[in-house]
Amino acid sequence: MVLNISNSFNISASALTAQRLRMDVVSSNIANAETTRGRYVDGKFEPYRRKMVVMQPYQEKSFANALQSELGEPDLGRGVKITQIKEDQAPFKQVYNPTHPDADSNGYVSMPNVDVLKEMVDMISATRAYESNVTALNASKSMFMKALEIGK
Amino acid sequence: MKVGKIVNLLSGASYERLQGAIDTSNLRQKVIANNIANADTPNFKRSDVSFESMLEQEMDRNSSSLIGNRTDSRHFYIGPKSGSMVSPQVTTDETTVYNNNLNNVDMDKEMSQLAQNQLKYNALIQQLNHDIKMKRVVVEGR
Repeated sequence: MVLNISNSFNISASALTAQRLRMDVVSSNIANAETTRGRYVDGKFEPYRRKMVVMQPYQEKSFANALQSELGEPDLGRGVKITQIKEDQAPFKQVYNPTHPDADSNGYVSMPNVDVLKEMVDMISATRAYESNVTALNASKSMFMKALEIGK
Repeated sequence: MKVGKIVNLLSGASYERLQGAIDTSNLRQKVIANNIANADTPNFKRSDVSFESMLEQEMDRNSSSLIGNRTDSRHFYIGPKSGSMVSPQVTTDETTVYNNNLNNVDMDKEMSQLAQNQLKYNALIQQLNHDIKMKRVVVEGR
């Protein structure tokens, strides 16, 4: 019983963690929207590449879960997990700016493939998702508090 | 015999039904929390808990179904078992698509179900508390 309640806490908590990490990645992308020296490759600087999170339903292979499924408990999801952070392979933006220290021989500078508009949309989406998970967590909490009133 | 009755003070049919409903509410909370947690996960499909409709069906069947006549206690019982507990089922909706990433979580629906489930849970706890209070009145005699 306690395991079950804490499980619904864990589900919401995993989503909070995931959305927060997503927010961190968005922050990193926006902060580095003008970074021309993201990585040093073959004696040349490469601009920052936009990063994206990959989310997957969380399937933990633990003893407790194995026992629960053996006991005939329905197999539920156990939240969400960010399995990797991938880089956007879209081409870099070419901006003509001959005075820039990282300009090539033709005067073009490779700028990061970050689209601030996209990042803003992602940020709002992450914020809203975070909020709805807080609501779900509060609902679980208030149910748990109500259960403590049984027999009072 | 009397001792047994006192020990079984809190194990009548109505308690069992309440317990089943509370367990279902708990399970549903978990399922909805998982749906909300995976609202942005590509290819995720939402799950649902069905219990009330199944219980209703079961109870309907109990009132109007064929029951075999038994002339000996060793005879097989034919027909639905009375008061048999229906256990909640978790079903996954694999057929619909709601978002571009093949995810079918409708946040508005999930949030309203979350609120509904919470209210239902509170109501069930209140009912359980009421029942316990009634028993307490009997025990204390006032």
